[in-house]
Amino acid sequence: MSVVPTNDAVQGGRSNPFLLMPITLFFVLLALAVLRAPSLMSSSGIGAAIVVATPLILATYALMASTISGRGTVDLSVGPLIGFVNVTLIQLSSAGLLESPIAVFLYAIFIGALYQFIFALIVIYVRVQPIIVSLSGYLALTGINLVILPRPGGIAPAFMAEWGYGISIFSPVLVMLVLASVAWLLFTTTAFYTHLRLMGSDERAAYTAGVPITIVRIGAHLISGAFAGLAAIAFTALISSGDPSQGTTYTLIAVTALVLGGASLAGGRGGVFGSALGALNLYLISFVLATFNFGAVQSYVTNLAYGTILVVSLLLTLLIPVIQRYIRNFSPLLYFVTLAVVVLGIILHATFDYAALPVAALSPRGMQAALTGPLEIAIIGSQTEALRLAAAPVVLSLLLLIVIAVFLRVAVGQSDRRSFAPVVAVVVAALVLGGTFVMTQRPFTTEVAP
Amino acid sequence: MITLAAPLTLPARILGVVIGLILTGIGAGFGFAAGASVQIVILAAIATLALFVWGWQFVLGQFPATPGVVEGPNPARAAWMQYRWPLFGLALILLAFVVLSLTVEGFFNIWNVISLLILLVILVLTRTLGRQFQQNRSAFIGIMVLAGLFSVGSMNIEGFASGINIKSMLLFAAFLGIASVGQTLVALLGGLDLSIPFVIGGANVGLLYLISLGVPGWLALILVLLVGALLGVINGLLSYKLQGQALIVTLGTGFAISGGVQIITSIGSEYSGNVFGTVPPWLVNISAMNGSTFGLPFPPVIALWALLALILIVGMRITLYGRFLYALGVNRTSASRVMISELRYWVGAYAASGFFAALTGCLLLGWSGGGFIGVGDQYLFLTLAAVVVGGTSLLGGAGGYGFTVIGVLVLQVLSSFLVGIGLDFKWQQFIFGLLILPMVALYARSPHIRTQI
Repeated sequence: MSVVPTNDAVQGGRSNPFLLMPITLFFVLLALAVLRAPSLMSSSGIGAAIVVATPLILATYALMASTISGRGTVDLSVGPLIGFVNVTLIQLSSAGLLESPIAVFLYAIFIGALYQFIFALIVIYVRVQPIIVSLSGYLALTGINLVILPRPGGIAPAFMAEWGYGISIFSPVLVMLVLASVAWLLFTTTAFYTHLRLMGSDERAAYTAGVPITIVRIGAHLISGAFAGLAAIAFTALISSGDPSQGTTYTLIAVTALVLGGASLAGGRGGVFGSALGALNLYLISFVLATFNFGAVQSYVTNLAYGTILVVSLLLTLLIPVIQRYIRNFSPLLYFVTLAVVVLGIILHATFDYAALPVAALSPRGMQAALTGPLEIAIIGSQTEALRLAAAPVVLSLLLLIVIAVFLRVAVGQSDRRSFAPVVAVVVAALVLGGTFVMTQRPFTTEVAP
Repeated sequence: MITLAAPLTLPARILGVVIGLILTGIGAGFGFAAGASVQIVILAAIATLALFVWGWQFVLGQFPATPGVVEGPNPARAAWMQYRWPLFGLALILLAFVVLSLTVEGFFNIWNVISLLILLVILVLTRTLGRQFQQNRSAFIGIMVLAGLFSVGSMNIEGFASGINIKSMLLFAAFLGIASVGQTLVALLGGLDLSIPFVIGGANVGLLYLISLGVPGWLALILVLLVGALLGVINGLLSYKLQGQALIVTLGTGFAISGGVQIITSIGSEYSGNVFGTVPPWLVNISAMNGSTFGLPFPPVIALWALLALILIVGMRITLYGRFLYALGVNRTSASRVMISELRYWVGAYAASGFFAALTGCLLLGWSGGGFIGVGDQYLFLTLAAVVVGGTSLLGGAGGYGFTVIGVLVLQVLSSFLVGIGLDFKWQQFIFGLLILPMVALYARSPHIRTQI
């Protein structure tokens, strides 16, 4: 019985304590951001956040895929590579080539993969340290970007003109992000991925175990290049033009996000979940700081906060062995869900319009309506009401079943360990049951609504 | 059981495919000549190829090669096998020269031919003599490249070898050289310091800020240098705690330093980070082009750099501190077994890095005359490039400041050369990027994985 979609699917490992930091930071920042600016939690707010954060996230993915392969491969050239695809795309499309979406996607992914393929070949056959190759690529690509497009400008291909608006949540950019993440998650189920992690952790062991390290390394770089191509498309959609000078920024931000996401720069550890969280954290930091309005020193405060948070979160990873001593089987998914429930409450509190409640809302019945009110989509007709009443026992029993099953699984599975997981399960179960109870009560909307 | 034919060697198979392709081509040619329809020609061609390849495999496989027949390759072939890569390289260079001569007008003149000859001589010398230098191969190659670049530059570019140009090259090399001191020391221990550009920018703005507050120039300079060293100590402690994450730790502290300095300097100022003030004349004299050292017509910063380089090169060779630094870089465990304090040397190297970065920032203030936080930005990767081109291994334990001096000079002469032939900054950066890789590949290739087990 697979009731729980275990964290195997998320990280490819049962216990990944390195996700503790990014998850905590993410929810702290999210709560802060929502309290400071409730407009973030609207369709356009989330849409804009997705459009701005997606290039960052994809750039971090690109960096992650090659960093996992070990030998200290920190691809400093990922930013200029994104810039290169961006400026060539702009120049080609304004020259009348590259019009259709398919051609644009193929071109971006091909260029990214080609660059990374050459990178991998140099690392494998010339046997120079990867960081030197990436330094070399950084300088060369930064220079050639400025040659191709001396100053920011140009117009993105016509079909992506509206991608960067970010009016609604469901934009093509989100589809790209989700597809890229799912592709990586699917990839983690393959043996190739196991080989990759083995090679990243200990290349000599992998070689002696018969892993074809040449092919694995090339594969990791090809994936990285494909992600870089996607990041370039998302970046082009964001700015709707070409910009040759973003290379440094993207490299530094991607490296920072990767480390914030709990990956190891030495190789062997990292995943899309952590990387996405790391990049989102960086986005949220600048978002939260932007709400404070520091005036002229805004960008300096952002720099200071970036640096400090990066160093502090690195220092906190030193605590992980200590935490591991007490929580032996940390489940990132469970932790994520728990914090998500808490933050959801904060979000509801921040975005709910208390002033709109009538005075009667203070009576118990009104409270009932106040709790369910925000969840009502439309005014309920009698038919819907009847349908609801009929469905209520089924829904309730289904929820009960799931909760009991999860609880039993956790209780049985963790019985011999010193662990907080059952407590967490009890809290979550209580929250779910409470919510269900509130929802199945007969709503009083008709009486309260004016 | 069907007895399979013995497997053919790879050359034999390739030969078979090639002969088959030729036969197919001939057949197709005849087919078209005879006016057969295209479909039939294609079909026949495929059939020919498939049949031939199958027959080749099957028939040749019946005659296994007798072991005794295989002899060593004849002398010509042996020489070819030994020298094919250099020969390929030479052919490529000659080809590039011919192509350039044919396409670019006026390219084929006596100076360019001489330049080509110098380049070839350098390459040949590097390949032959370079083998004699097991220890200092990178220094040898660097000096050869330096000599070649300089001679080619002075022949092709008017005023390249003039006193003014050499002075300006040395001036900029001095800035880069002083900034790279810390990077070299840190790299010798196996670390990295990416906070250097931010410290440079911070020192640059901070010094002018202090002077504009009315602090005497010498005191301000000492204060800034002390703060720089202190930041280096913090960097060292943090990255010592977080082993292997030096790159990202120093990047983080760099961000924080740059942001913090700007916040401090913009408090109470309406110019938001732009600091205005008067740089004291003695500081201008130290690093301006027209400065003089005890009456001699060159800026003191060059003398300062030369002195520093001398102290470091000699010091690293003869003092205990220098030897212990190398010992730690080569093998930490064994070094700490002989009672060398890892923490102290690590923090010391980072403190030196912060100190010299701050010094560079102060000197750059004297050169430019105005504070600018981004003044050090190009040093983010240039210090790394200088260290790497010079031949100091980023893994630690090999190299030294003398190597970095060569690396700095190579980069500086190269960039001056590129400016001389009319390439601007973006092309310089592009060519830098393309050149670092082959230069490092000449001497810093890591061994194959199968030799590491």
